[in-house]
Amino acid sequence: MSSSIYYQFRSQREPLRINFDGTGISIFDLKREIILANKLGDGTDFDLSVYNADTNDEYEDDAEILPRSSSVIVRRKAPSKQGHGTAARYASAKAPPMSVVSGNSLSGRRAADGGGGGGYNKRVLPPQPTV
Amino acid sequence: MSVKKIAVDSESFDESDYLEFIALGGGSEVGRSCHVISYKGKTVMLDAGVHPAMNGMAALPFYDDYDLSSIDILLISHFHLDHAASLPYVMTRTDFKGRVFMTHPTKAIYRWLLSDYVRVSAISANDASSLYTDADLSSSFERIEAIDYHSTTEVDGIKFTAYHAGHVLGAAMYFVEIGGIKVLFTGDYSREEDRHLNVAEVPPQRPDILITESTYGTSTHQPRQEKEARLLNLITKTILNGGRCLLPVFSLGNAQELLLVLDEYWQNNSNLDGIPVFYASSLARKCLAVYQTYINMMNDSIRKKFRDDRSNPFQFKHIRSLKNLERFDDLGPCVMVASPGMLQNGVSRELLERWAPDAKNTLIITGYSVEGTLAKQILNEPSEFPSITGGGIKVPRRIYVEEISFAAHVDFKQNSEFIDLVNASNIILVHGEQKNMGRLKAALLGKYKDLRDTADEIKIFDPRNSEEVRLPFRGVKVAKVMGS
Ligand SMILES: [Zn+2]
Ligand SMILES: [Zn+2]
Repeated sequence: MSSSIYYQFRSQREPLRINFDGTGISIFDLKREIILANKLGDGTDFDLSVYNADTNDEYEDDAEILPRSSSVIVRRKAPSKQGHGTAARYASAKAPPMSVVSGNSLSGRRAADGGGGGGYNKRVLPPQPTV
Repeated sequence: MSVKKIAVDSESFDESDYLEFIALGGGSEVGRSCHVISYKGKTVMLDAGVHPAMNGMAALPFYDDYDLSSIDILLISHFHLDHAASLPYVMTRTDFKGRVFMTHPTKAIYRWLLSDYVRVSAISANDASSLYTDADLSSSFERIEAIDYHSTTEVDGIKFTAYHAGHVLGAAMYFVEIGGIKVLFTGDYSREEDRHLNVAEVPPQRPDILITESTYGTSTHQPRQEKEARLLNLITKTILNGGRCLLPVFSLGNAQELLLVLDEYWQNNSNLDGIPVFYASSLARKCLAVYQTYINMMNDSIRKKFRDDRSNPFQFKHIRSLKNLERFDDLGPCVMVASPGMLQNGVSRELLERWAPDAKNTLIITGYSVEGTLAKQILNEPSEFPSITGGGIKVPRRIYVEEISFAAHVDFKQNSEFIDLVNASNIILVHGEQKNMGRLKAALLGKYKDLRDTADEIKIFDPRNSEEVRLPFRGVKVAKVMGS
């Protein structure tokens, strides 16, 4: 079953879409997918925030699961510390998982997908919140 | 649209007394210049560039950090990619609804330059996602308004005038007036006369705020003649030793200056006959007509040459234009002027990889090298560097590397003299790496320290990207502006 999240960069005119399998996607995975889909690089250059499209509230918890068909606003921000953009943690996804989400196995990192053409069914799990 | 209001200011003082400045790019960095000033409900964007060390969306200024629909006008200082290459994106992909202005020569060259940028971005290995298409470029191009130097334009209570900035053909400084507050934005500028450009002018009025480039921070340029002598000696030595010289350049700007220098030298030194000088840029050939058309906007010496010789000085006698590398017989000593200037990809990169293993060859870096590009890295003379073909392939570097900068930017002495002449009480530094900007700020603070805590105090700011500078202008009589 293919699901979508609709996202729109704050300054862009048109919404875009991320497809995935399942009923929801974590904020962590969503950010990572957005970075990859838009070739935003290693993420050291920017911070990435995601907001609820209706309330403008920021999704601050990377572990939060966004139900499919949600709409969000994305903001690529200048990093608070130059050269240390927090988006790097999603781009590299090296951080260890904090908890297991909806029973998915850890082994299924995206890189191991074998490039199966946009199919997204493995979860990269959220990292420990940094201080 | 409520969506745009993510952060809300909740301070209690009168908001309308503040002029706000924000760098969406080019704040404590060189690249993707984009600044916004807003005052009394009027908003002006200055430049819309890309970052030369990055690709695709990552190269953009931080547009998400500003409500682009609120911008009234956008002024482009000059055609360089770090000042103009995200303009089609802003005009076709965002909420921006404002009017866009640039000088006539800038507009003429911008068209060629950006269509080349679209083409190169599309084929470069690590960037499949281009920011905009050639169709976007064409459709937005129609909506760009071309202006003349020294004539004042008024848009809905915002007045602006372009002055010569030197630097490259068509480069402008903008003197902007909003609600009685005057701002001068230098863009990239030069104050030393070269073979073809006018030097930057000091505007006749004193601005309240000066936004100035700080590329070279507190460093000093070698005098022009010494630089040229060094360049020509190095080239001659390399050639006599059987080597090849590679001069990476940005295809338009200091390339034309460098070619004028080389053409003259070959003209005066018959012992160099038979040693080919190549210029590998089809773009430059296309823009030759633009350079010819706008000779009247260049300095006296080149206009005189044009009149006296009855020929276009940009029609070089000793330089061969090279369409592509397939047509190049790489048989012996030669001089190759090739783009891009920072060796990110393209012809200059391909030739570097070919010539780098041989110690007889020479690489001369003639422009400013942005952090993160190969041109910057190779100045440290690494023993090898990564090949553009990827796959972890390394190219050994034995080629001799020297930096002789012909970048048409002010050095510390020229910048601080200009700052004195302009005489603004607020100075905002942009277009400089963090360290250079910090040094320049410290040097200027030191220079003006006696004025501290007096009515003539000069405030200096070196903001990072998206860091707001807020300047109160309480005493301004708005009524006067309304009536004008
Ligand atoms: Zn420039
Ligand atoms: Zn520049």
